[in-house]
Amino acid sequence: MSIILGSISLTRFSVEGPLPDHHMEEFPERIARYAFRKLHEDSSDERAVGWVNIMDMLDSQFAAKEFFKDPYIAMSWRVDERKIPGKALKLHLREAEAEIKRAENVQYLSKARLQEIKERVRLQLLKRSIPNSSAYAMVWHLPLGVVIFGSVSSRLCDEFTEFFFKTFNLRLHTVFPYSLAHECLEDSGIQTDLLDDLHPLSFETEGW
Amino acid sequence: MALLERVRQSEFLGRDFLVWLWFKSETNGGEFDLGELGRIELRFGRKIKLQAEGDRATETVTCAGETPHMKEARFALTVDKKVTEAEITLTIGKDLWSFVLDSKWMNLKSLKTPKVMQDKNDDPEGLFYEKVFLIEKAISIVNALYFSYIKLRVSPQWSSQERPHLIRWIREGR
Repeated sequence: MSIILGSISLTRFSVEGPLPDHHMEEFPERIARYAFRKLHEDSSDERAVGWVNIMDMLDSQFAAKEFFKDPYIAMSWRVDERKIPGKALKLHLREAEAEIKRAENVQYLSKARLQEIKERVRLQLLKRSIPNSSAYAMVWHLPLGVVIFGSVSSRLCDEFTEFFFKTFNLRLHTVFPYSLAHECLEDSGIQTDLLDDLHPLSFETEGW
Repeated sequence: MALLERVRQSEFLGRDFLVWLWFKSETNGGEFDLGELGRIELRFGRKIKLQAEGDRATETVTCAGETPHMKEARFALTVDKKVTEAEITLTIGKDLWSFVLDSKWMNLKSLKTPKVMQDKNDDPEGLFYEKVFLIEKAISIVNALYFSYIKLRVSPQWSSQERPHLIRWIREGR
């Protein structure tokens, strides 16, 4: 419900190329393939991402194809992440190392052994940590080929465009001032190469 | 040209647009006639972020004040600082939108739309459509303003009229 409740920060994308001919049949299958799946408690995965219902981030079944909201496809991109606090990892690592040294009656552990202990402790803690869940709205106006995504983080936007491509086999391009200006001039029948003659405004030399 | 290079080289378009928008909002009483989208009122809010780039390291100044004229921020324009973010409020009749407009990607940050009237339990679909309509309205208005600016910027009228008026406005703010 992030798009409905409260404020939203958004990035705009344009979709490259036309929609596939049979997208109404094709997209539900593709969405189901990339729907969100929870991290298993026993798994050592740090992250799970996938599509969920835009009105309910707990629903990834889309039993009634709720993502079709004519003329849009609207979903949320859910990201679950498990993170181990650095301090906790250090503390548990020291404990584990001390225990092994005591048990094996040695003063030092080899580099490889230390690495192996670190990995084991990290996995143990990871399984115990609760994932942090976020859902970012995605509203795709199909006829216009415009996507609104509910985040302005460049890291997330890059990851989102990759995920969108994996799902729909369509590339997204971020809208930015030049692309908008180009579109504006083209639509108005004005030469677009006029844009290339523009230079930044500078007021420093105005003799204030 | 690679996309990132194009973005970097044309970044000034968004920055110059924000300066122009600020100037227009203060010199025309905040009123803009956007044709099909109707008449809107646009005001710059209390926060404007300016940045200087060049040989020097990037310097960022955030001005926040009660006065809409923000003399300090306008002064910063004369030492070649560029507006990179601005808090904006839009009003159409009783409806009000607020957001921070960013110059690099034209992103709308912290967008607050007018209150949605539909009831979540009665009609969740209606709620979705109403909210998306309100978000798209804000985007359409930003696009329309930007398109007005771009058409003006590539026209002869820019050098003969608009730029001198803009410079006068900055001078008056000193």
